[in-house]
Amino acid sequence: MTGAKLFGIVVAVSGMLTIGACAVISKQESLPAWHPEALGEGRPDCVECHEDQIKGVAKGPTTFKHTTEFIRQHRFYAAQDGKLCEICHKASFCNTCHANEREIKPSVFLGNRPDRELIHRGDYLSVHMIDGKVDPTSCYRCHGRANNEKCVRCHR
Amino acid sequence: MKKKGLTSALALTTLVPSLAFAVDFQADGTSIFRLEQRATPGFEKQTVAPFTQFAGVDVDKLADGNLSLHLYGWERVDLGDSSTGEKKNDGELSYGYLRYRFARANGDLKAGRFVVNEGIASEQLDGVAGRTDLAKGFALSAFAGAPVKLDRGSNTKGSFIAGGRGSYAYGSILEVGISGVHEKGGIYEPLTGNKYDRELVGGDFWLRPEKHVELNGRGSYDASTDGMAEQSYQLKLFPLKNVTVSGLYNDADLAHYFSASNLRSLFNPDLGGKVKSYGGAVTWNVAAPVDVTGDFRHIKRSDSIDQNLNGDSNRYGADLRLNFLDKKVRPGVSYHRVEGATGFNSYHEIRGYCMYDNGRYQGSVDGIAQLFKSSLYQVKNAYEAVASAGWRIIPALALSGEVSYSRNPWATDDVRGLVRLTFNYISESKGANK
Repeated sequence: MTGAKLFGIVVAVSGMLTIGACAVISKQESLPAWHPEALGEGRPDCVECHEDQIKGVAKGPTTFKHTTEFIRQHRFYAAQDGKLCEICHKASFCNTCHANEREIKPSVFLGNRPDRELIHRGDYLSVHMIDGKVDPTSCYRCHGRANNEKCVRCHR
Repeated sequence: MKKKGLTSALALTTLVPSLAFAVDFQADGTSIFRLEQRATPGFEKQTVAPFTQFAGVDVDKLADGNLSLHLYGWERVDLGDSSTGEKKNDGELSYGYLRYRFARANGDLKAGRFVVNEGIASEQLDGVAGRTDLAKGFALSAFAGAPVKLDRGSNTKGSFIAGGRGSYAYGSILEVGISGVHEKGGIYEPLTGNKYDRELVGGDFWLRPEKHVELNGRGSYDASTDGMAEQSYQLKLFPLKNVTVSGLYNDADLAHYFSASNLRSLFNPDLGGKVKSYGGAVTWNVAAPVDVTGDFRHIKRSDSIDQNLNGDSNRYGADLRLNFLDKKVRPGVSYHRVEGATGFNSYHEIRGYCMYDNGRYQGSVDGIAQLFKSSLYQVKNAYEAVASAGWRIIPALALSGEVSYSRNPWATDDVRGLVRLTFNYISESKGANK
């Protein structure tokens, strides 16, 4: 089976399943555009206010507790629950690291925020020669198809 | 393409007055001036003084109150020698789009330049996108347009991209999604000059069988080369209210994972190879002001044509984060060790920082040391220290600056200065500031 055929089948099946199973738009109220209460400094812990469930979201508040590991693995949640992330984070927040072309290293752009979990601190020019060999997939996620104009200066 | 994007953004802004009746307006900007003396052995000494302006605008409550406009971009001018070794000015429209949010079903429509993150699709495009929740837990999203290319050439991306995600959620127990991306001419083969369509399909899931256990995962299949590109799974356990334990497994087949790379000198799918890793982390919120995280990962590279890249590596370490005086004082320390496989280098990384922020004045110190097992250009260690001070002049305007000193394999003494002016104006308070 060719790739194009498989792609077409998956798109068609998922479309038919979804639309066929329920041709009706949900009546549920949308999530708010802004978090209604101001949040304190530092990483939020949703459990402090949301006891068991966040209204309109399948996942519970413990899922989104911003631990160090949550921040490192946030791709799992951003891919499923962008609608929830954007209640508190503007697109420019994500753009600090994730951009088609990033002008300044995030840890320099936010050099006054050493408490933020930012990648490539210190002499990453040296460290990337080790990290890149150990696991090139971690580089590819951000530099494989975008934000790699600086890489090309050496990796021609 | 970039000029086209900026022109489109300007065109969008001209629409604002005609659409507005009682708008909310937010403008933010960061002006950064850097001054660096670069002295690299064997090269001429350089004074680099780039000025970069980042600017963003968010206009809400346009038209019937559900329409909004979002713009963000940056422009750099080198006031001294070229900071990049290339042209002395550069810029980019990161995003610029109109968005209509529906009152129900988390429905929204976007048009312009934006980023989509839907399942396995993570793309920046000039086009349109929409999403909505459907009845009985289903949801649907779709996007189409032209992928945003890189400065260095038209072959960095394809000419048309489309994709989307369909998902189903069952209560607060299960969510499954299927997603796909099709990019016309998205794969450029530099040796032959041929272009191929990039096609990626995948799935993702999240499962909570019990309130203390969560499992999520995602996988992508590269339909253009007919092979599984990546699988990632994460298991999270919440044994106690203040303890989170997680396990992670990743598996990537580089022949398929790198198939659409536009940087083949670095990510070459023809070399093949596999990367498998597993590990985990434990986060213990010892008390409100004390957070400890320990993490470990084992990474195995195999089956590569270049046998020198095969081997088993480990990465492990711990972070301690503290806060005192109602979070005004926030110190932290961390240690990480990367043990490279045979033939790879290894390093220790030790970091310590402390920041103070009382809302009006801010200051911080941050030090990091990277100690290599084998010398890089006859140097075994890299050190960097950064001191920062800031003053919030008025709530919407803050001035801050840093001085950094570093020694590393690339520079014997590297002193850098940075001045930052941050502006953030919000016409109406709507709850938490973003």
